[in-house]
Amino acid sequence: MNIYLLQVINGIGIGMLYFLLAVGLSIVFGLLRFVNFAHGAFYLLGAYFCYQLTRWGLSFWVALVLVPLAVGAIGWLTEKLMLRHVYATAHEYHILVTVGLALAVQELVILQWGPLGDSVAVPDMLQGVVMWGSFVYPKYRLFVIEFTAVLAVLLWWVLEGTRLGSAVRAGSESTEMVSLLGVNVFRIFSLTFGLGAATAALAGVLAAPIRGAEPFMGIEALGVAFVIVVVGGMGSFSGALLGGLLIGIVQSVMSTLWPEGARLMIYVAMAAVLLLRPHGLLGRKE
Amino acid sequence: MSEMSATYLLEATGVAKHYGKFAAVSLVDLKVRPNTVHSVIGPNGAGKTTLFHVLTGTTAVTSGRILFDGHDVTREPDHRRVQRGIARSFQVTSLFPSLPVRENLRLAAQGVAPAQAFDGWHEPVGKRSCAETVAQVLHKVGLESFGSALAGNLSHGQQRRLEVGMALAAHPKLILLDEPTSGMGIDDIDGMKRLIRSLRDEHTVVFIEHNMDIVMDISDTVTVMQQGRVLAEGLPHEIRSDDRVRAAYLGNMITGGKA
Amino acid sequence: MNAVSKHLHFILAAGVVAAMPLLMQSGSLASEVLIFALAAMGCNLLLGYTGLLSFGQGIFFGLGSYTIALLLTRWPLPMPLALALAIAMGAAGAAVVGWVSIRQKGTYFVMLTLAFAQMFYFIAYTATGLTGGDNGLLDIPRPGIAVLGRTLWPLVTPWQFYGFVATLFLVAFWLLLRITRSTFGRTLLAVRDNEERAAAIGYDLKLLKLQAFVISGAVTGLAGALHAMMTGIAPLANAEYHTSEMILVMTVIGGTGNLFASVLGSAFYLLLGDWLSQLWPRWLLLLGLALIAVSLWLQRGLWGLGETLWNLGRDRLGRWRAPVAAAPAGGTGRAPGQGGQA
Repeated sequence: MNIYLLQVINGIGIGMLYFLLAVGLSIVFGLLRFVNFAHGAFYLLGAYFCYQLTRWGLSFWVALVLVPLAVGAIGWLTEKLMLRHVYATAHEYHILVTVGLALAVQELVILQWGPLGDSVAVPDMLQGVVMWGSFVYPKYRLFVIEFTAVLAVLLWWVLEGTRLGSAVRAGSESTEMVSLLGVNVFRIFSLTFGLGAATAALAGVLAAPIRGAEPFMGIEALGVAFVIVVVGGMGSFSGALLGGLLIGIVQSVMSTLWPEGARLMIYVAMAAVLLLRPHGLLGRKE
Repeated sequence: MSEMSATYLLEATGVAKHYGKFAAVSLVDLKVRPNTVHSVIGPNGAGKTTLFHVLTGTTAVTSGRILFDGHDVTREPDHRRVQRGIARSFQVTSLFPSLPVRENLRLAAQGVAPAQAFDGWHEPVGKRSCAETVAQVLHKVGLESFGSALAGNLSHGQQRRLEVGMALAAHPKLILLDEPTSGMGIDDIDGMKRLIRSLRDEHTVVFIEHNMDIVMDISDTVTVMQQGRVLAEGLPHEIRSDDRVRAAYLGNMITGGKA
Repeated sequence: MNAVSKHLHFILAAGVVAAMPLLMQSGSLASEVLIFALAAMGCNLLLGYTGLLSFGQGIFFGLGSYTIALLLTRWPLPMPLALALAIAMGAAGAAVVGWVSIRQKGTYFVMLTLAFAQMFYFIAYTATGLTGGDNGLLDIPRPGIAVLGRTLWPLVTPWQFYGFVATLFLVAFWLLLRITRSTFGRTLLAVRDNEERAAAIGYDLKLLKLQAFVISGAVTGLAGALHAMMTGIAPLANAEYHTSEMILVMTVIGGTGNLFASVLGSAFYLLLGDWLSQLWPRWLLLLGLALIAVSLWLQRGLWGLGETLWNLGRDRLGRWRAPVAAAPAGGTGRAPGQGGQA
C-alpha cells in the first residue's frame, strides 16, 4: 500500500485525537480567557485512570465512559475551588497557578504509578487489522477515527444546539452581557472547564492503547495542544478540528521524510501564526 | 513659536478611521488655532475619542492627513508625536497605580526625552529627575501634598487631575483632554474648569466634554460631532443656538444616539 | 532612602554569599544556588520589572552552556574570553527571541516564548554536531584564571569554584541593582504598570522591552555557562521546558518585587530540594503546591512573606514598648510588587 496514503490516514487518526485534546483548551480560552497550562495534566490523568481501571479488571469500554466523567469532575472542582480566585489578578498568575497544578499532578502520578510508564492493552474486539482489498489498517486506529468523528458531531451539537452551548458561545463574546441576562456565569465557567478536562481525558483514554501511559506525556501533549489551538484559532471549535487534522497529517507525513524536523516544524508554524495572524485560521479577531 | 508658518497649530484634513465596515470617524476636518481652547462635543458614539486616538497616534488613520506645527505627522506613532509636542489625557483614568504621584509625573516629563529611558546606569536624581517640572505641575493641578502617595490610592477627582498633569508634564504645545471632568463632583469640576482655562496662555487645548456649562464658558471654538462626522463648528453662542445641534445632541442627551 | 536601606539588598546578598561556606558542606550546591539566583534575577527583570512572562529562559541558559562548552573544548579560548562570549550569546539569543516575541502582547507573547523554547529544544536535539544532541557536550574543563601561563586562581575544588562564582555573582548583582534603580529600570516599572500610558507619554515600548530582554539573556547566559563549568557537561536538559519552568518557579516563589527575592527563591528551591529529595523523591509535588499557593495568596512571594512578618514583629515590639501610644506602623504605602523598592 502506498506509504504516503498510509501516513495520511495515520495523520487523520492522530489529527482527530489532537482535535479532541485541543478542543477543550480552545473553548476554555474562548470563554474564560484563560490559558490552562494544566490541560496536559487532564490528558495524563485520562490515560492513567484508564490504565488503572483495566488493571482492576474493568473493560476498556467502561473506562471510556467513567474516566472522562471522573476527570471532568476533577476539572470542575479545580475551577470552582481554585482557579476562580485568580480571575481578578493579572494573566501571569492564571498561567502560574495552572503550571503549579500541572507539576503537582505529574508528581502525584509518579507517586502512585511509578516513573516508568505502563502499557494499556487494546480491547479484544478491536485487536487486529481491517482488510479491504489491498487496504490494511489496524482496527483500533480506525475505531479511534470513527469514534472521535462521532464525538465531534456530538460536541458540535452541544455547542450549537443546547442552552449550555449557547451560553458558552455568548459568554465567549461577553461574560458581562451574559450575566446581565440572568445566566450564572460562574456555573458556566465551572461546567466548561470540566468539559474541557473531560475531553482531554477522553483523548488520553483513546491514546493509551496506542502509546501507553507515561508520566511525561502531559507536558508533551500540552505543547502540541498549544500549537493546534494557536493555529486553529483560540476559542474556535472548528479551528481545533482543522488545526488538529492539519498538524496531525503534516506530522505524520513528515515523520517519513524528516522525523526530527516534524516536531520542529509544528512549532515554527505556531510562531508564524502568532506573528502573522494571532487569532489563528478560524479564530475571531479580538 | 513661528507665527509666519501655519495659522493653525493642528490641521486635520479628511481624517477617517474605519474598523472593518464600521466608520468610527469619516472625513473629519479639524483646524485648531494656537493658544486657544477648542472643545469637541457630541453624543456618545460620535467618534470623539476615536478622533483623539488618531490625532495622538494611538491608532493609525484609515485615510486623511494630519499636520501639526507644519509637519505631517499622519504616519507617526504616539511616542514620536509626544516629542513633537502633542500630549493627551485619557477618558478612563490611565495612570501608573503602583508608583507615587511624583514618579508618574517624572515619567511623563521624561517622555519628551525618551533616549534617557534607556540609561541603565544613572538614577533619575538631581538634574535627571525633572524635579522642577514635577513641582510645577503638582502646583498647577493642586496635588502638592500628594506627591508621595501612590497614584492608585488617590480619590477619583485627584486621579482626574493627575491625568491632566501627566499631559502637562510633557510641556506640550497641544494638549488633548478626553472628558477631563468625567465622574467628578461639583467642587472638583469648578477647579478643573479654572485649570483648563488657565492653560490657554502657554498651551493649546482641545478637549472633549459632556458638561455644557464648561464648554460654553471657556471654549473659544466648539466643534460638534455626530456619527463620525462634523455637524457644526463655531463660537459657543453660535453652537448653542444652532438648531441642528439642538436636535442632534441636546435633544438626544439621554440616548446619545442617532438623530 | 537612607544609606543602610539603599545598600540593604546588596548587604543581604553578600551575607548569603558569606554564609553559605560556613553553613553548608557542598561547594557545588552553594555554587548552584548562586548560579540559579542569577538565572532567576534575569527572569525577574522580565517578569517583575517589565511584566513579561517568558517561558524562554531555558534558551538563554542553554546557549550559555553550549557556548562555553564549545569554546573550552572544541575551539579553545582563554576562559575569561570564553565566558564573555557565552554571555554575549545569551544576549544575542535573547535579542532574537525578544525582538520577535514582543511583537505580541499578553497571552500571545507568552505562547510565542513557549514556541521558541520548543524550537530551540528541537534544534539542539537535531544539531548533534554542535550540541551533542541527546548526549549533550561532555568533559568541559574548568581552567583557572591564568596570566602568562601561570595559574593565579585555580578553580579545581568545589569551594575554589564557589569563590569564582560568588565574585561574578556579586558583580552581576551589583550591576543589576544599579540597572533596576536607574532611569531605565524605573521606566520598565511604568511599562509593567500600564503599557498603553507609557507609550502615550513618549516611550518606545519595543526597544525598552528589547533592552530588558538582552540584559536578561546576558545574565541567564552567564548562569548557563557557569553551570556547565561546574558540572562539566552541557546537557540537552538545559534547553528543556523543565529548566524554563524551574527558573520561573524560583522567581515567582522568591517574589517578583526585588532582586534579592530571586536569591531567596533559588536558595529555597535548591536547598529544600537537596534536603527533601533524600527523604522523598517526589518533593516537586510540594513545589507545585507552593507555586499554587503563592499565585493564589502570596503573590509577593517569600520576600513578601518575610516583609509581612518583619512588619508584624515591629508592630508587636512597638506595642510592647509603648502600649498606650502605639498605632500600627504598617502601611508605608508599599504596593504589591514593590517589595523593598519604594
